[in-house]
Amino acid sequence: MVDASLSRPPVRRAPVETAARVRLRRTLELTGRVLSDPTTVIGLVIIILMLAMALLAPVITTPNVPDPYQMPRDWGAVRMPPLTEGHLLGTTNNGGDVLYGVIWGARTSLYLSLLVVSITVVVGTIIGSIAGFLGGRFDNVLMRIVDVFLSIPELIFALAIAAVLGPSFANIVLALAVTFWVKYARIMRAQIIRVKQNDYVDAARVIGDSKLRIYFKDILPNSITPVMVQATMDMGHVVLVGATLAFIGLSEAGIAEWGVLVSEGQAGISSGRWWASTFPGLMVFLWALAFNLVGDGLRDALDPRTEGR
Amino acid sequence: MLTNLEEHDAIVRAPDVIASVRDLKIHFRGKRGMVHAVDGISFDIRDGETLGLVGETGCGKSVTARAFLRLVQTPPGVYAGGSITFRPRRVCDDCSGVGCRECDGTGRVAAHCPACGGKGCRTCGGTGEETVDLLSIPDAQMRALRGNRIAMIFQDPGKALNPGLTVRDQISEVFLQHRTAEILAAAGVSPNDVLLRRQASQKSRAFEKMLLAVPPLRSGRNRVDAALDTMVADALAQTQIPNPRKVMDRYPHELSGGMRQRVMIAQALACNPDLLIADEPTTALDVTVQARILELIRELQQRHKTAVLYISHDLSLVRRVCDRVMVMYAGRVAETATSQQLFRRPTHPYTRGLLGALPGRGAHRGRLAAIDGTVPELVDPPAACRFVGRCPDEVAACSRTDPPMVEIEPEHAAACFVHAPPGKAAATRPVRTP
Amino acid sequence: MQIRDYILRRLMVLPLLIIGTSIIVFVLTRVGGSPIGIYLSHEMGPEQVQQIRERFHLDDPLPVQYFYWAQGVLSGDFGWSGVSAAPVTAVFPSKLAATMELAIASGIVAVVLGIWMGTVAGARRNKWPDHVIRVVSIAGASLPLFWFAIVLLIVFWVHLGWFPIGRSDPVIFDSIAHPTGFYTIDALIALSPRAFWDAIWHLILPAIALGYGATAIVARMMRSSLVEELQEDYVEAARAKGLPERLVLKRHARRNALIPTVTVIGLTFGFLLQGTVVAEIIFRWPGLGRWMADAVLRGDQATIMAYVMFASILFLFVNLVVDVVYAYLDRRVVLGE
Repeated sequence: MVDASLSRPPVRRAPVETAARVRLRRTLELTGRVLSDPTTVIGLVIIILMLAMALLAPVITTPNVPDPYQMPRDWGAVRMPPLTEGHLLGTTNNGGDVLYGVIWGARTSLYLSLLVVSITVVVGTIIGSIAGFLGGRFDNVLMRIVDVFLSIPELIFALAIAAVLGPSFANIVLALAVTFWVKYARIMRAQIIRVKQNDYVDAARVIGDSKLRIYFKDILPNSITPVMVQATMDMGHVVLVGATLAFIGLSEAGIAEWGVLVSEGQAGISSGRWWASTFPGLMVFLWALAFNLVGDGLRDALDPRTEGR
Repeated sequence: MLTNLEEHDAIVRAPDVIASVRDLKIHFRGKRGMVHAVDGISFDIRDGETLGLVGETGCGKSVTARAFLRLVQTPPGVYAGGSITFRPRRVCDDCSGVGCRECDGTGRVAAHCPACGGKGCRTCGGTGEETVDLLSIPDAQMRALRGNRIAMIFQDPGKALNPGLTVRDQISEVFLQHRTAEILAAAGVSPNDVLLRRQASQKSRAFEKMLLAVPPLRSGRNRVDAALDTMVADALAQTQIPNPRKVMDRYPHELSGGMRQRVMIAQALACNPDLLIADEPTTALDVTVQARILELIRELQQRHKTAVLYISHDLSLVRRVCDRVMVMYAGRVAETATSQQLFRRPTHPYTRGLLGALPGRGAHRGRLAAIDGTVPELVDPPAACRFVGRCPDEVAACSRTDPPMVEIEPEHAAACFVHAPPGKAAATRPVRTP
Repeated sequence: MQIRDYILRRLMVLPLLIIGTSIIVFVLTRVGGSPIGIYLSHEMGPEQVQQIRERFHLDDPLPVQYFYWAQGVLSGDFGWSGVSAAPVTAVFPSKLAATMELAIASGIVAVVLGIWMGTVAGARRNKWPDHVIRVVSIAGASLPLFWFAIVLLIVFWVHLGWFPIGRSDPVIFDSIAHPTGFYTIDALIALSPRAFWDAIWHLILPAIALGYGATAIVARMMRSSLVEELQEDYVEAARAKGLPERLVLKRHARRNALIPTVTVIGLTFGFLLQGTVVAEIIFRWPGLGRWMADAVLRGDQATIMAYVMFASILFLFVNLVVDVVYAYLDRRVVLGE
């Protein structure tokens, strides 16, 4: 296939097409490709709704005082079914408003996922880059550590860490961060080793660029796409695992977090009070699903085999 | 319907024609419209001849070949029209396929027309021989022909052999599908033994296989396996594979490229087919091996007098192997001729371009040494010569009408206005045009 | 032989990984503070506490402590499980059997169902069965087990009453002997259809809850590898031989598509193992997972360590087996890399 730009009349526009413009054009193309898949769009819509809910939580609901992340307790309306006045989705055994928990849970989840993903991406990328770039003994040692980390099933590892640190939401964040950075280190290392072999890096070296400059200018922008895909998926995955840990009981009781709410509602299901567990759990599902769909779409769009450059 | 009968008549009048393609159209549904990959081609394959099908990548050669086996994927493919009439033979009764005087050493004799039992009727056009339209027979009947009466050798034996099955497993499949009665006879098993008959036709389900492993039934199973092994070994031996019994237990990746292609040939010729389709059988091989494989195909073809449709983009190869050649361009036939005629007097500018592209011939042909451009996209093509734009000898008529096939000399025809101008076409006899 | 070398090399690396894991786990548990709490009671005076500290080498530096711990482990002493009020090794086997029974049941369901779903989807690409299975498998990867299990309970236990909760009816359970600890197998050995039915009946709901995610993973992999195989030349060659479509699919394409699917089964096993923690809490299943969850909530270090060690060794071992099986199945694979 002949590139369309080649058959156009030869207008001298080469100097105008700067690197930044090329990047912009490619980003626009990519956006178009991502948005052409209906499932990705569904995922994006769910994410936007979730984000809106998380950000507008103080506007939609009356924040609990003093701590809005703590469930408000309405002891006058305990175990109310959905559609009760003032409690649209019903209340828990302890009079917690399920709707409040669902909305503020989105905020908690956003907080959790952003925190964990940004920490792990930065740490993983740095460590993986150093290993890939330097190679040698450091690389060897690091990869053995990574192997050991990967030989413990994810949830069990996070569970053990959180257990040792003691039950608190902050410790869940820490446990997830310790567990999740490994993937990024591995991806980044593999990418760097691959990209390092490409000719343009050699070309840059010949020109006399410093190592650091080569890294930021040539290697990093070319390695970052798989990290991005993984990060998108992890935005959902972190919430899934985090809520599971909270459900098991590793977070403070009574905070507005979906896993905690499911756990709180669990006691009532044998008496037929299904709502307190069902709605928050559904939110975890939708959250994870949305990010998975978008991550999947992103991966397909970025796949070099389908990229018509 | 009337035209269909006429098509049948064509075969009737030429008793040596084994397969006859008329106005075949195969299109592909693409993003931008219908791609006319094969756009109304007609030709005959004669019994025992090697017909070369030549053209650049994307001109419709492979699609044409696959149409004989009805292997074009639908969708996206569409059989848009035309017919492929085929005259399947059957195993000679007198020699059970070994080759005798009765069957002229081929091991095959004509199959009786099912409508009249060989007496000659309207369906078979009076010949008494069975003829079928490959594009309209039911799937089951098509499957009975595949690998049996029409077989195919693929381009890359490394890919066309299943990596997970041994050579024995893969070749025996052909016998199991088409030679159940022979297997049972060779094993000395009654054809009424349901369990073994199902085994010998690859129909056994898991529980039957378990049953067959039980001691009293096992001996029957082993006899069938042994008979099958002999047939597979014989098929391999035909292709001059040393030590066929050892090769049988190998997996394809354990064999060299040449050996793999031999296995592929053994598999294709296992049932002594009437028509062998060879889709660039040597392209994926080393140059040194190519010649030997080519020789092998040629030799086996002559021994069994099998008709071969030989697809290639390599004219020099075709010249060595083929009796007649058909040059295709962009889904159309550009020129047909005997090998000698084609090389002596290439008529269509495209054929001349192809010949000019051959090394050692380009020097005195000047600007035709290579053809500019590539095969055009075949999305909803206009009524014009497909070579317009690349042709060095273009005239005005070329972009207005399709040039018909015009006979230049006996056995030699080309679809070109320039070398057989429209005025002259009336004088010369037009060969069947769609 | 190549394959034997490969297995040997993998087996040699295995102990190193296990030692590495144990170090990480040990350091981790000690970061949370001294494990002495389990052994203390209110009546003890400072001297007694000091005695305990010395007895368990708690005043020594960490590497020395690790050495003592490892020595104990190698001689079969995993410490005292505070949750069960018994030595870890005493309670471990019966709980292990309960967990493995659940995990294996879900694993079988996942592999069989996943391969079937993947085959159907791959063979009818872009037809409606494919779309349905695609939605089901995407959902499977995002479905929180703790929620799915509760929804199943709400529907099938609370509202419909079709399935029970727990692992067994205690009366029936106690009526037979338990030589293996696997309830289903014990029931078969005891020739008790009543007990066998009881075992199966209790197993169905948790096995579905736990197996769904794994089914999704297997189905997805099977679909994509089948689609890939169906594009291969040898599939067309099989058709050209006159094989019916059923055999083309089963004997040729599916067989080769199974090879890459094997690799995700190892992954799936880790997924199932960690899922038992949640499933056992919700279905009140008396296995290792619930034991671990209890230990986590009470800070019972010996139990946590034993469990994590067990889980990672099992996980490593399963992955080793999967790799070997893969190498054996795919004869094209060049071993060692």
